[in-house]
Amino acid sequence: MLPSGWEVTTAVLLAIASFPISLVLTRFFMKMNAKSGIVGIDVHKLSKPKIPEMCGASIPITLILLSTAYVLIDGGNSLMMLAFSLVVGSAAVVGALDDRLKMRGIYKPLLTLLCGLPIVALGLLYPNQVYNPTLQVPIFGSFHLPVIYPLSIPVAISVTSNTTNMLDPLNGTMAGGVSIISAALLIGVLITDPAPSSVFLYASLLFAALGFFYFNRYPSRAFAGNVGQLSIGAALGALAILSRSEIASIVAMFPNIQNSFFFLSKIKRFTEHRALSAKPTKLLDDGRLAASSDLKAPLTLVRTLLVGRPAKESEIVSTIFGLYLISATLALITMILVG
Amino acid sequence: MKKLNQRATALQLIVFVTQWGLMILGFGILALLVAPLRLQLDPGLGRYFDAGVKAMIALVLSTSWLFIWDRQVRLYFYRKREGAAEPA
Repeated sequence: MLPSGWEVTTAVLLAIASFPISLVLTRFFMKMNAKSGIVGIDVHKLSKPKIPEMCGASIPITLILLSTAYVLIDGGNSLMMLAFSLVVGSAAVVGALDDRLKMRGIYKPLLTLLCGLPIVALGLLYPNQVYNPTLQVPIFGSFHLPVIYPLSIPVAISVTSNTTNMLDPLNGTMAGGVSIISAALLIGVLITDPAPSSVFLYASLLFAALGFFYFNRYPSRAFAGNVGQLSIGAALGALAILSRSEIASIVAMFPNIQNSFFFLSKIKRFTEHRALSAKPTKLLDDGRLAASSDLKAPLTLVRTLLVGRPAKESEIVSTIFGLYLISATLALITMILVG
Repeated sequence: MKKLNQRATALQLIVFVTQWGLMILGFGILALLVAPLRLQLDPGLGRYFDAGVKAMIALVLSTSWLFIWDRQVRLYFYRKREGAAEPA
């Protein structure tokens, strides 16, 4: 049975509440973490200001609170909400652990593999109610993957969470980028298959990310930390699977894929930015950023955009948002082609 | 909102559209040629053998896709040298 317009409207209206909740929670974490000394240095500013870290915890908390409220108030798909909340919550725990313990680079991808297991487990317990192992392909129809699909779910969650984690080098890039991605996928879901639960989760992610973006935008007053980055990336991965927008989500994340692939192909191991001996960018005396001339430095997206043309941080952030707009448009076309 | 780096954005647009087209083509190959393959008649373990072979084909296709992406970005942005002080 097709969902009524009323169900979709209430889903969006309830999801809008995630904006003020995320905003208030981010403000709370900014104050609390600054008092507790949980701060990071904004290395791309000449003044090197200290910014409260781990404020992105507001996003997974908002998403889990809202998902619970949606089930209780509007009778949303409880299995889908449970799977989503478990994935986002577990990725947030991994991120928080990494923020506090500064784990080696290899542990994050390994631990985030486990974050996809709730979807697999619930999918095995309730077949075809959590995920659908038939992959819908643009133009060419679909194909059934009864073995490969469930096995690839943990990998998908690990990839989306870590690739989101890797593309947050400048103020607001992660939160702004995820807002653009989720807005495009929300429009795509509304056009093609407006299942209320999918609409609700994409809208919640969009408004929660925007609430955090208010404080995280250039010049940042709050940093997301791994807790925010990994959980938002896991949310994107989980939503791709739960709302059957897998291929469109890959397209929307093209800037992240390029950044991670070029980083890993150069460095050839999982490592933290802080552990790199050769940094991809350097800060000039006039406050602009320039591409590193060190041959050992990774070819990150920011370095690529700075090749031969030093620029202000805000200009690079705008360019990255431009790239997200391109990939989000292609993702929307992909969803329309899938139908 | 500060101005975009228009040259880099235009080059990335070409990269993304090319990779998008190639990705859809790759999924088309998987949907039309690879997925219908039946390599084993044994309904037990053969199912997993089939899935493994198909996964390997998908892996080869995705590696080729990433290789083309790599060449394209290096050609557009790092043609002169990776040191990157000069534009391509």
